[in-house]
Amino acid sequence: MSEVQRTSLEAITPGMGLGEMVYGPLRREDLKAYADASGDDNPIHQDEEYARRTGAPTVFAMGMLPAGYLAHALSDWFGGPQHLRRFKVRFTTRSWPDDEIVCNGRVVSIEGHIVRVEVEGRRRGDGPPELNLEREQVALIGEADIELPE
Amino acid sequence: MAEDELVFDLPVELDHVQEFARAVGEDNPVFFDAEVAEQHGFPNVVAPPTFTTTQILQVSREERERRLGANLDYGRVLHGEQEFLYKRLPVTGETLKGRMRISKDFTKEGKRGGSMRFVTYESVFTDEAGDEVLTARYTLIETAKDVG
Repeated sequence: MSEVQRTSLEAITPGMGLGEMVYGPLRREDLKAYADASGDDNPIHQDEEYARRTGAPTVFAMGMLPAGYLAHALSDWFGGPQHLRRFKVRFTTRSWPDDEIVCNGRVVSIEGHIVRVEVEGRRRGDGPPELNLEREQVALIGEADIELPE
Repeated sequence: MAEDELVFDLPVELDHVQEFARAVGEDNPVFFDAEVAEQHGFPNVVAPPTFTTTQILQVSREERERRLGANLDYGRVLHGEQEFLYKRLPVTGETLKGRMRISKDFTKEGKRGGSMRFVTYESVFTDEAGDEVLTARYTLIETAKDVG
């Protein structure tokens, strides 16, 4: 959990960064654990051969796993999940085994009691050698509304 | 004939919430321990914000397709976007009622000439008193057949 807790509006200013939170590195067991917990049993996330047959070099994470990490980061940034009013993400690239997921965010605006933040999760790692990926890429990007007391 | 709306139950059970919380790396005790959750003003252990994606355990992709009839080719489908609107978070011991429908279905031309179809499944979850808890919007993108 985060040491800095932004639990009231007076602690927040537009433009303020929320601080990096790093999850992973993603292991195949993490994909399996998320598949079991979430019910997303698409074999493309667990079965190496199946993934290859679809044209992927190996298995990759279901988008909702890094999205779950980003929700985790939001909860820790603002002192718990109870203030979250909206959370939206768009997936921009896949995350691969051994990637770390680096979450970050920034306060965009404050209107009334609602703090709007931009958030992103970057995958960081070598990725499958066949893909020759950049070491760090934005895997998901989004925004959230947090309702805080004065 | 496709149905307009698919209604299902989503039980919020302690073991499942804890398992899901561990799977997204959670360490905040409000997701594991009822006493701590109560100290933070929750009536019981809280489900993580993305927990309702477990709706797939109640309504399989096949059932969703058969009953809502988006007719997607899953060999070309990606999860494009996800949005949640919260009144509050679910807590263990309750069973939410989900109402799922296709809220958006449109096609747009892609940058490389192929078209992309966006289909959004919106699930509105209410509690046992009938009050709204949260809305989840799950957007799939079906890519064009022959764009490389």
